Amino acid sequence: DSHVQYERVGADVTMKCGSMDWDAAVTWMTNGTDIDESHQNGSYLILKKVNLTQSGQYSCYEGSSWHLKYQTSLRVGMPPKEPVLMCRSNNYPKGFYCSWHLPTPTYIPNFFNISVVHGTREMVCEKDTFPKNRCHIRYLQLFSTVKYKVTLTVTNALGKNSTTLTFDEVAIVKPDPPESVVAKPVPNNPRRLEVSWQNPSSWPDPESFPLKFFLRYRPLILDQWQHVELSDGTSHTITDAYAGKEYIIQVAAKDNDIGTWSDWSVAVHATPWTEEPKHLTTEAQITETTSASTSSFMPPPTTKICDKGAVLGSGAVAVCWTAGLVLAAYGVLFI
Amino acid sequence: GDSWGIFTFLCAALCNLPALPALNCTEELGAGQSIQKTYDLTRYLEHQLRTLAGTYLNYLGPPFNEPDFNPPRLARAERVPSATVDLDLWRGLTDNARLAANYRAYSRLLCYLRALDGQAGTAELRHRLGHFCSSLQGLVLSIAGVMSSLGYPLPVGPAGTPAPPGTAAAMAASNDFLKKMDDFWLLKELQTWLWRSAKDFNRLKKKVPPAVVTLRLEARGF
Repeated sequence: DSHVQYERVGADVTMKCGSMDWDAAVTWMTNGTDIDESHQNGSYLILKKVNLTQSGQYSCYEGSSWHLKYQTSLRVGMPPKEPVLMCRSNNYPKGFYCSWHLPTPTYIPNFFNISVVHGTREMVCEKDTFPKNRCHIRYLQLFSTVKYKVTLTVTNALGKNSTTLTFDEVAIVKPDPPESVVAKPVPNNPRRLEVSWQNPSSWPDPESFPLKFFLRYRPLILDQWQHVELSDGTSHTITDAYAGKEYIIQVAAKDNDIGTWSDWSVAVHATPWTEEPKHLTTEAQITETTSASTSSFMPPPTTKICDKGAVLGSGAVAVCWTAGLVLAAYGVLFI
Repeated sequence: GDSWGIFTFLCAALCNLPALPALNCTEELGAGQSIQKTYDLTRYLEHQLRTLAGTYLNYLGPPFNEPDFNPPRLARAERVPSATVDLDLWRGLTDNARLAANYRAYSRLLCYLRALDGQAGTAELRHRLGHFCSSLQGLVLSIAGVMSSLGYPLPVGPAGTPAPPGTAAAMAASNDFLKKMDDFWLLKELQTWLWRSAKDFNRLKKKVPPAVVTLRLEARGF
């Protein structure tokens, strides 16, 4: 005869040896070891203030014949505390989901029952296969004045508890964070960073239900964030980045009109474009490594570039002047 | 010389736009701006309503001012128009039907809200209600403006005209608690309509782009 017996932590447990009389001679065993007779009151096994470690298989044998008379599995646990319930619509206007968990473990099996009532109508919350403690509901109507009332009841062998959430359709709207956030430096712009992202894939209809975005960024070395709110578009150029500093950037989303902001997206790092040092270093190295004999043929790089620059400059100026004269002439003709 | 003349004419035309809604060639430009304006107005009203509703519900007292108050909808006269709508139906509404629904709803809501005005408790509350009613009237007119600029007729008939004040008072006066329930539902419907209108006008915004000036130029043969 096999049983399961659930008992509360800290309780005093009395185990009877099946249908045996109180004064029968029996021996109790647990997990292969004898239990001392001091714990027995006649044929009853007394366990005082049980703790979790005392969970296990308990067997009772008749004194002389060693017949197994009774066997039970003792599970020490606790009645459920008030469960934590959360409901959210990350796919408005399709519907919403609710998920739940227990704040502390009970150590014994628990059963959850969820009920959703909308006005007078009872709705079915379809359980998700994964994760387990989650169910979803499809909206039949939009813009409802009547609140939704979700009640979660958790039951186990030692007790029962429940919690209720009541909310308006629009109050629980919270999109998932934006996806594929990318931040890139902008060539030749030491103070810019180009950030782009995508609408969360769970948001079904961004055309009719557009999202607005919140961008935050800071250099790694500082604690203070800078914020930008963007009412449309999925990209933004930061124009006040500190040159050469690595930045951390995140984006959040919200329905344009209702609900709350999403959590922050995954953080991306980027450093603005910095100018590459010129040939200076490489040529300087060459002149240093080559022998003194070549030095007469290769003037020090700095002066060489200066001379080149001077030549170019004068040439460029000459070009500019001629271009200017030509344009002026054309302008006069048109006016 | 020609280009300057055209440019000055355009400037004059654009500046005079708001004052001449009947001007055919500027119809689409006007509608786009009006839709944006109407959208902004619904957001403003929604914000105002939050404060107003809080104050009014406190005036009604418990249980009306409790956050979890979730009474069943009584089968009494469903006089207040409901924003609740089937999702696919809402999606499939024509621009005309969408605008007409908003126009009818706010016209009636305005009327009921005005009735509230005369009975409310403190002077401050009456003042707030009065201010809100003015803003709500602005919304009704704004919607009418959008409809006419798009060439849609304004809805008329029983939906548009207010119920005689006598009947409303007679129905309500029967029970003080029931009257308070009516007030509660009126505010709830108003709040829900403002949520819905933001979405309605978002959809309309997408359908009617704000500026079509270049097309207008080609049409006039420049």
